[in-house]
Amino acid sequence: MNQERILDCTGLSMHFGGLAALSDLDLFVNRGEVLGLVGPNGSGKTTFFNVVSGIYRPTTGRVVFQGEDITGLSPQRIYHSGIVRTFQRSRLCLELTVFDNVMIGNHKRLDLGFWNNLVRRGRFLAQYEEGVERAGKLLAALNPALVARMFDPVGDLPMIDRRRIEICRALVGRPSLLFLDEPSAGMTHDETRQLMDEILNMGSYSEGLSIVLIEHEMNVIRRVTDRCVVLNFGRKLFEGSYDEVAADPVVQEAYLGKEVEEVE
Amino acid sequence: MPGSIQHNASVPGAVPNPGSAAKAGPLAGIVAAVAVTAYAAAFLLSESQGLILALLVGGAVAAGLAVRVGAHRAVARSLAAHGRLGDGLAVGMVLALMVIFHDDHYALFLVATILLYVVAVLGLNVQLGFTGLINFSCASFFGIGGYTAAMLGGHTGVPPLVILACGGVTAAVVGSILLLPVLRTSGHYSALVTMAFALLFKVFMEVNDAFGGPQGVDVAPMRLFGWDFSSDVEIGSYTGSFYLPYVLLALALAVGAFVLVRRIERSWIGLSLDAVRVDEVAGACFGIDIRRWKITAFTAGNFLAGVSGALYAMMLAYISPANFTFADSLIFLSILLLGGIGSSWGVVLATAVVVVVPEKFQVIQEYRFIIYSSLVLLMILFRPMGLLPRKVRAYRRQA
Amino acid sequence: MDFGLLTQFAINGLMLGMMYALVAVGFTLFFGVLDVIVFSHGDVVMVGGFAGLTTFYWLDAIYPGLSHGLMLLWVALASMASMALLGIVMARTMILRLRSAPPLNTLLATMMLGTVLREAVRLFYPNGSNPKPFPALLPDWSLDMGHLSLRLDNLILFSLGALLIVSIHLLITRTRLGMAIRAVAQDAETARIMGVNFNAIVFLTFALGSAAAAFAGIMNGLYYNEINFGMGLLLGAIGFSAAVIGGLGNIYGAILGGFAFAFLQTLGAVALPFASAYKDVFAFGVVILIMAWRPTGFIAEKTSERV
Repeated sequence: MNQERILDCTGLSMHFGGLAALSDLDLFVNRGEVLGLVGPNGSGKTTFFNVVSGIYRPTTGRVVFQGEDITGLSPQRIYHSGIVRTFQRSRLCLELTVFDNVMIGNHKRLDLGFWNNLVRRGRFLAQYEEGVERAGKLLAALNPALVARMFDPVGDLPMIDRRRIEICRALVGRPSLLFLDEPSAGMTHDETRQLMDEILNMGSYSEGLSIVLIEHEMNVIRRVTDRCVVLNFGRKLFEGSYDEVAADPVVQEAYLGKEVEEVE
Repeated sequence: MPGSIQHNASVPGAVPNPGSAAKAGPLAGIVAAVAVTAYAAAFLLSESQGLILALLVGGAVAAGLAVRVGAHRAVARSLAAHGRLGDGLAVGMVLALMVIFHDDHYALFLVATILLYVVAVLGLNVQLGFTGLINFSCASFFGIGGYTAAMLGGHTGVPPLVILACGGVTAAVVGSILLLPVLRTSGHYSALVTMAFALLFKVFMEVNDAFGGPQGVDVAPMRLFGWDFSSDVEIGSYTGSFYLPYVLLALALAVGAFVLVRRIERSWIGLSLDAVRVDEVAGACFGIDIRRWKITAFTAGNFLAGVSGALYAMMLAYISPANFTFADSLIFLSILLLGGIGSSWGVVLATAVVVVVPEKFQVIQEYRFIIYSSLVLLMILFRPMGLLPRKVRAYRRQA
Repeated sequence: MDFGLLTQFAINGLMLGMMYALVAVGFTLFFGVLDVIVFSHGDVVMVGGFAGLTTFYWLDAIYPGLSHGLMLLWVALASMASMALLGIVMARTMILRLRSAPPLNTLLATMMLGTVLREAVRLFYPNGSNPKPFPALLPDWSLDMGHLSLRLDNLILFSLGALLIVSIHLLITRTRLGMAIRAVAQDAETARIMGVNFNAIVFLTFALGSAAAAFAGIMNGLYYNEINFGMGLLLGAIGFSAAVIGGLGNIYGAILGGFAFAFLQTLGAVALPFASAYKDVFAFGVVILIMAWRPTGFIAEKTSERV
């Protein structure tokens, strides 16, 4: 394997009081791959996202992203370095418009100076038009109907469109690594399938984009991931392709057994 | 609420697709503004309590009818189609009232008070409405501006216009003492911090002799280009109340503050403030610097409160700790909640109602606190978005 | 400073601390069960005082010869029962209604309700805008030693307050009802699924907290020999501060916080003898500092940010 590792975590542990949500986890992501992160509830998947995206500071261990040690940096810094995530429970700003939500993701490109925002309105409006165009393109790629609703509050839209907007918000800043935390939550099988296809198509928007996907729907995992990591009790239980994971007796016993049969 | 509907119109609505809305003429907006001006003038002119009650009821009925027939939508469309018209009409209304009441001290005093309160509540709107920072000590920062004016005007030769700025700066600087606890806490906890400060401020002013103690201090009046604001205006044979220049200056401040706050709202800064309010964690994950925006909003809001407090003190010529109690902070907060949290035009409307109605309708003067608090309570329970709910952001003025 | 005077300060501080602890217990109970700050709580203390006073007037008119002990018993019972009822009404009409709204709305709504209560007493209670003398229902026996006087009434008040707090604590930790309260505080959804009547528990909590507030109001009247319509605002702010310093949702914390605040005030009065008027400035200043240092108080509130 001579692939470039974009993210390399070593010895990652996260303790809450006496509870170890992650213990001594080694995990890497190759550039351009889709990595599936699976495991039963409470196995530390979301905690892993929270640690890498800077919400929690790991108890021990190192996170290296594109050759730079980002362990324990603030979420702001980590966003600027090129990692973006979505949330399990949609955390869009429901009262703000679609455009506003997408622009929050574009924060690194916005000019936040007082002078240009408040006094030189011409400059601001030029940047605004640029933003409208950029958001419009992204939205059109996911669902052309959303473009017309760009200035409606997100709260007025159905769940699948909210998920799409979350994807747009995550992708608009052209990240190098995208964390998707259960994008299928709250959607039907068909909707999930559709959304995943859309996300994979969007990969081309951000060149060389790597994705880490937390997902319970095993057929989604099978279809889209290049590689899987199975977590259990905060530890890595298994690592390999989906077929290897599905075939592994230990994993089956710990977690997959029944669900694999359902899928078949 | 009298007049609410007409004002509703002046919120430049966010029309998502400018092409889809038929362009409305300016007539409806102008008619509404004239009607509101006439109503306000009639209200300020009335002396008898019966007449005022009749006006209040009539205003409410008229507003209700206007909503029934959909007139408010026509006005809203008209003003939305002509972005600057609403702002111009609002300024025109104040100027018209100045001409009508040029020698009526009391009416002009009320108009100036409204304008200055608007500035302070706009500051609170940036803090609470946009950023979600709870500030229960707005009246204290208003008071810090006032005391700054009293001290600088009484003991130094600083030009009064500079004193106004100093009032704002002092409020912002004193506010920065609270920054650390306000930044480190959120929700209930920062409510406690500002509440403790409001109580502390009033007690401090009462027990401290340097600031006049409970009796308060005199404040030197405004002077501008050698023109003393404490004497009546005389231009040729024309005589006007000495409150006229205060109204003008307060209007200038209010317009300035309004433009500033609207521009903040319609910029990436406003977007960042909203993101901080709605979800700090998600915001931080998209690179939003939570601390920076909290500091910005808190400081800007206190600055506005301080500037308006300084001019208010000069106009009153005398202030005491009783002017700046926790209850007064609650009034500022009530105005914001009644008008519609985050809604700048809501602030203007609610301030006018809250300041003028109990002053003119003396029967309720004694009961005003209980009436406001009940109204706000009902508002939170049944219409939490306020009288003129905040509209979704439109960055570009529909011209 | 001589020993007698210091002891006097200490006794004074203990009395205040007990009063504050009683108020803080309410804040912490409500927060524990519903995650809300009920700011009108201070004004419930005040209304409790007035309810007690009114009961006294009635009893005095109907049974003029009633012994002080019995009188106090009835005054306390009537006031606590009526405030418990008020608490239930508040929970039903406001707090539960606002559950799905942002927490700030509850804080603001209850703050407005506090103003309504305060103003209602000022405007509608006979001569309500003036301080009202509160009858001395406790024996005025005292032991004098130089500057120091140990008063029996203070001892009784303190013991009754302690008794009330201990009973609330025992109710919560040792009974089935208390277990239900703790279950709801831990996780309302799960408790509901396990068959706990959620609304009933909320009402019970509000009744308990408000009854404790009523007792604090009467204690305040007996201690200062007067009550006034405005006393709730400061008591509310102090009770809230005390609950926060101790760590919201924690009864021990509330007690600790109540005495800590009284200690701060007393310290302010002792340490700044030239300007003891600054004692509240000092106490609230320290509260602000504590918030800067320990943003969620000394016994941290358990937080679980679910991301």
